[in-house]
Amino acid sequence: MADMDALPPGAQNISRGGFNLYAGPFWRLPDEGDGARPYALLVEPKHMNSSGSLHGGVLMTFADIAMSQASRAVSGASRCTTVSLTCDFTGPGKLGDVIVARVRVTRQTRTMVFLAAELTCGERTLGVATGLWKILEQ
Amino acid sequence: MTSIPPAGFTRTELVDPFEIHVGPVFEQGNKGARRFAFVIDERHINMRGVIHGGMLMTFADAALGQAAWDACDHANCVTMTMQMQFLAPAKLGDLVEVTPVLTRRTRALMFFRGDFTVRGETIFSVASVWKILGQD
Repeated sequence: MADMDALPPGAQNISRGGFNLYAGPFWRLPDEGDGARPYALLVEPKHMNSSGSLHGGVLMTFADIAMSQASRAVSGASRCTTVSLTCDFTGPGKLGDVIVARVRVTRQTRTMVFLAAELTCGERTLGVATGLWKILEQ
Repeated sequence: MTSIPPAGFTRTELVDPFEIHVGPVFEQGNKGARRFAFVIDERHINMRGVIHGGMLMTFADAALGQAAWDACDHANCVTMTMQMQFLAPAKLGDLVEVTPVLTRRTRALMFFRGDFTVRGETIFSVASVWKILGQD
C-alpha cells in the first residue's frame, strides 16, 4: 500500500475502483501555477518488471489516467474516452519513485481534446506521451 | 479471475511482477508465431464497465514483449515507444487476442505491430519499437 508520507502535501487520491485502483492508487497534486495539471504515482513492488524497473504498462496507465482526468476537467464533460495514445519511454522508473505527470492541453475542440504529458521523477524524465480524447457526454 | 486457459490455449509463464498482478495471460502456437490472450475480469474494467485503456496497453506491452523475447532469443530488450489506437470498447468476460507481427528486425531494434481482437473484431491497434540492450 502506498506510503502517503512519500507524496507531496495536498495529494488527493483519484482512484475509486476498477483498474484505476488495482493498478494505482493515483493522486492529483495541487496546481503549481504553470498551467500544467500535475498527478502522482508512488512506485510499489507490484509495479515492477523482472529487471527491477517500472513496468511500461504502469507508465502508460498513469499517462492515460492523468490525461483522461485532465481532458474531463478542461472540457467539463462527464465522459471522455481515449482515441489514441503515444508513449515514448525515455528512462527507467525505480521502486519508491514518486512519478509526477504534468499534463497540458494542446488544443480543444467541441468534441475532441489533444493533450501532452511529461512523466518525471525529480530531474529524470521517464516518459513523454501525447494523446487524443473524444468527448462523449457534456 | 479466470485462471483456466480458453480452449486451445496454455498459460504463459510471466516473470514481471506487474504482469503477474494483472494476469494470467494465455498463449497458443510456436516460438516466433505465438498468439496471446486474456479474459477481461472485474480488475480490468473502469467505472463504466468497459476495459480500462491501461489494461489494454499493459497486455500489449506483455504480449509484444514476449514476441520480442522470441525474436531476440531472450536478450535484454526494452520498449522504446508505443503508438496505440483505441477502436472500440471491450467488456467484462471478453477474450482479447493478438498475434504480434515483427515488421522489421535490425541489429539493435525490433519493430512490432499488433491488432487486438474480440470475437474477430479489431478493438485496439498498436505499433511499437523495441531496443536490444548492448547492441549499437
